[in-house]
Amino acid sequence: MVLDVVEAILGFPPVWQVLVVGFGFSLLVSVVAVWFERKTAARVQRRLGPYWASPRLGGLLHLVADMLRYAFQQVIIPRGVDMTPFLVAPIVGMVISILPVAVVPFTSNPQYWPLPPGAMEYSLLIALAITTLPPIFIVAAGWASNNKFAVIGGLREAFIITAYELIAILGFLAVAAAVGSFNLAVIAEAQNPVKWFMLLNPLAFLAVIIAVAMSTSAFPFEIPESESEVVAGPFTEYSGLLYALNMGGAYMRRFIYGILIALTFMGGWAPYNPGEGIFAGYIVPSLIVTVKALIIVLAISFLRAVYGRYRLDQALDIAWRLTLPLALLGLALGIIQAFIGLA
Amino acid sequence: MAADKLSTARQRAEEALKSIGVSYSVEEGANFVEFIVDVARLKDAALALKNAGFGTVVSVTATDYPKKNTIKVVYHVTSMIDDEVKGAIIGVGVYLPRIDKPSMPSLTGVWLSAEFMEREVFEFFGVEFEGHPDLKPLLLIPPLAEKRPLRKDFVVREENIYEGVPFSNVG
Amino acid sequence: MSGDIRFYGAFKDELGLKTIPSRRIAKDTYEIFIGPQHPGSGHMRIIIKVDGDVIVEAEPDIGYVHRTMEKLGEIRGWIKPIPLFERMAIHDACNITLPYVRAVEKLMGVEAPERAKYLRVLLCEINRIAAHLYGFAIFGIFLGHSTMYMWAMGDREVWIELAQELTGARLTHSYPVPGGVRRDIHDEYPDMVRRAIRYMRKRLEDYRKLFLDNPVIKSRLEGVGVISKKQVVELGIVGPNARGSGVAYDVRLADPYEVYDQLDFEIPVFEEGDALARTYVRVEEIKQSMNILEQVVDWLEKHKGEPIIHESVSSKYGPVHKKVLQEQRRAKLLPLHATMKVPAGRAIGRGETARGEVIYYVESDGGLNPYRVRIVTPSARNAIAFKYALPGHKVMDLPAIYGSLDYFPPESDR
Repeated sequence: MVLDVVEAILGFPPVWQVLVVGFGFSLLVSVVAVWFERKTAARVQRRLGPYWASPRLGGLLHLVADMLRYAFQQVIIPRGVDMTPFLVAPIVGMVISILPVAVVPFTSNPQYWPLPPGAMEYSLLIALAITTLPPIFIVAAGWASNNKFAVIGGLREAFIITAYELIAILGFLAVAAAVGSFNLAVIAEAQNPVKWFMLLNPLAFLAVIIAVAMSTSAFPFEIPESESEVVAGPFTEYSGLLYALNMGGAYMRRFIYGILIALTFMGGWAPYNPGEGIFAGYIVPSLIVTVKALIIVLAISFLRAVYGRYRLDQALDIAWRLTLPLALLGLALGIIQAFIGLA
Repeated sequence: MAADKLSTARQRAEEALKSIGVSYSVEEGANFVEFIVDVARLKDAALALKNAGFGTVVSVTATDYPKKNTIKVVYHVTSMIDDEVKGAIIGVGVYLPRIDKPSMPSLTGVWLSAEFMEREVFEFFGVEFEGHPDLKPLLLIPPLAEKRPLRKDFVVREENIYEGVPFSNVG
Repeated sequence: MSGDIRFYGAFKDELGLKTIPSRRIAKDTYEIFIGPQHPGSGHMRIIIKVDGDVIVEAEPDIGYVHRTMEKLGEIRGWIKPIPLFERMAIHDACNITLPYVRAVEKLMGVEAPERAKYLRVLLCEINRIAAHLYGFAIFGIFLGHSTMYMWAMGDREVWIELAQELTGARLTHSYPVPGGVRRDIHDEYPDMVRRAIRYMRKRLEDYRKLFLDNPVIKSRLEGVGVISKKQVVELGIVGPNARGSGVAYDVRLADPYEVYDQLDFEIPVFEEGDALARTYVRVEEIKQSMNILEQVVDWLEKHKGEPIIHESVSSKYGPVHKKVLQEQRRAKLLPLHATMKVPAGRAIGRGETARGEVIYYVESDGGLNPYRVRIVTPSARNAIAFKYALPGHKVMDLPAIYGSLDYFPPESDR
């Protein structure tokens, strides 16, 4: 009886997808992404990077060791903090940041869609709506910390939200306009095999990449946490597991955005055609999507080795004066493409 | 070449000081020259020197002479832009009585570059500069500054490596 | 907060120092203590008051690494202060101790032989390049550019290795001593220097591509932290910071010491006065230092075997010391130097370190110890820049300005 209930809950596709793809994969991806970031930066900077934890794997286990350390480290809670939001914000923020996976289809086979086909019609909108939530918890974490650097970091995060959110949504909508559907499965299917929107609509693609970099504080927009000014920004007072949740949250969000980008701009499971059965119809296409998302994550992470960080006002300037027109042009391009029936 | 500049600078400074009628005595070092003036006319002398082109203080040098019972404070100044005297160092200074809190006018209003250095002299020698905008210790903590560490009667106690000297016992 | 209005910017108007934009600011400004335990502060604290995101007041609070150099200089004899004063700026050790040595030499009335002078210049310029690279590294990490940090720190190793080959120590060389230098170069050394120069020229090109021409870095630095020419003179700012503001003040030119008046080099001066100009000055200075190094090693190759220490020292040598000097080209200090007495007198020693002019006022009463050693280091003079250059800028500009001033707390605190 109990087993049935557990099975029913875990077997419910959205839950299953959030747990396995959302949590498991994104944890794995953040480990790989952090490792890749450190390793490529080390290569550019002419040093080794993580190495000694597992020389044969190139130090990959170093990150696992790091995670273990975070997991067992004492969580110090300063006396002056607002306890409830201080504890809740990082946890809820991370959970919400992986929630968009619950509505993302990893295959064109409706049998393995997380939601019924009717609800899938709005999957892109739902996913985008959820991605706008986590920054609120970052700001809350900064405010609850009762620390000047955390407050300033939270404030910067709030500024950055206003800059990237609109761009990201407009950029994704350009694709929706071109295809004429909010259904991620339809969007991905429309690009099969090589009519990828990153080629058809590079403007929107670029705008979205910049917005994602801003959203997940990647260089050169690593402004809320910039170490040389505000220590660790909103996470200054955090330690141990809570700190790891906060910092890992950025990589997880980057990965979730990567999945959305893979589906909307990089053809999803294309050039593969999902077939019948759990293997051909779900596992293979979802792996393809994950790999594409991973490429996005790694590409954004690599920017660390090349760029410094912008000043806050310069970042806002770039967002509103450069990237927003870019996104609008992308949207116009999408509408034109819909009009001439290119997509 | 440097000697030429020094003589030019000296000549110019002497003219400047004479023009405002400040009496001075000259003390020469190996490669610089100092003009010792009366405390009351120090500010005038400084202004005259600044107008003569010596725009930057390189050092506010105080020296304690317990045998003569006096503290000497010299502003070593130079010019950073005037090619004729660039690089030559001249000094304008005073002798203060060696009491607990000798006092002299601050020259921060004349040479802004002296602002932090005067704070240094204040903490190390206890010289109080009247009219300084923000006179407080620069490098030391206030209790240590109270002991006037650079005066000669502050003797550094050598620390035995086997026993720590408590911090409050310093001096 | 009605009623509580303060006016900033009125101070020093008559000097043309309007660093703070005169604007009305409510009294409820936000006070932030940056440092001393702050990743971007170094061993110092800057207390800033911000109105929104704009700094309205900055107060450098230094002294966290004060090591009583002036007091210790009075009780340790004449030779021991040399390794002591090095500790102020260990990556600029020769530059920072040379003026003291020269002041003592002036009091003693000795002058180093020509070859020793060239050797001193050799190490000074190696130090200067290494110190500039160190500054670049810190600057890079302040701006979030970790690659610049790693590159500069890595390439600094080349120059440290050169210094080690010359003196036997990586950082605290204690190389110049009154009367000369401690060691001569070996035969392969000039080629090592030339190889290092070739390598560094190539790397500077990489730096330009990745860091100086990087749009992000440029937009962070251009027009930020502007210090006008008049302010430089008024505040007494020295070194590359002054030369970045159009003040052509360099002790190597203004009051040439050692053999700088026989060498052919330029002093780069930029007029803009912003953080970018200060950065460019440092790059150009590295190039000029390499030019100097080339001339110096050429000269050294042509004049092999000349004395490296003054006769007044070497004439007292016993047979062992003489042998060491002859065969290994190492000049040793004798035990009697520990109780050396210097004729009474006063001298000022000055030199141009990587960060600017350093001044030693040395007074002797003819005794075993200096009567007074007054040290003014370039960072000590530049510290005042924080107070007057920061206001009016955004909080995020603080690391950019801090890094561009190349401020080094241990040197400033002495």
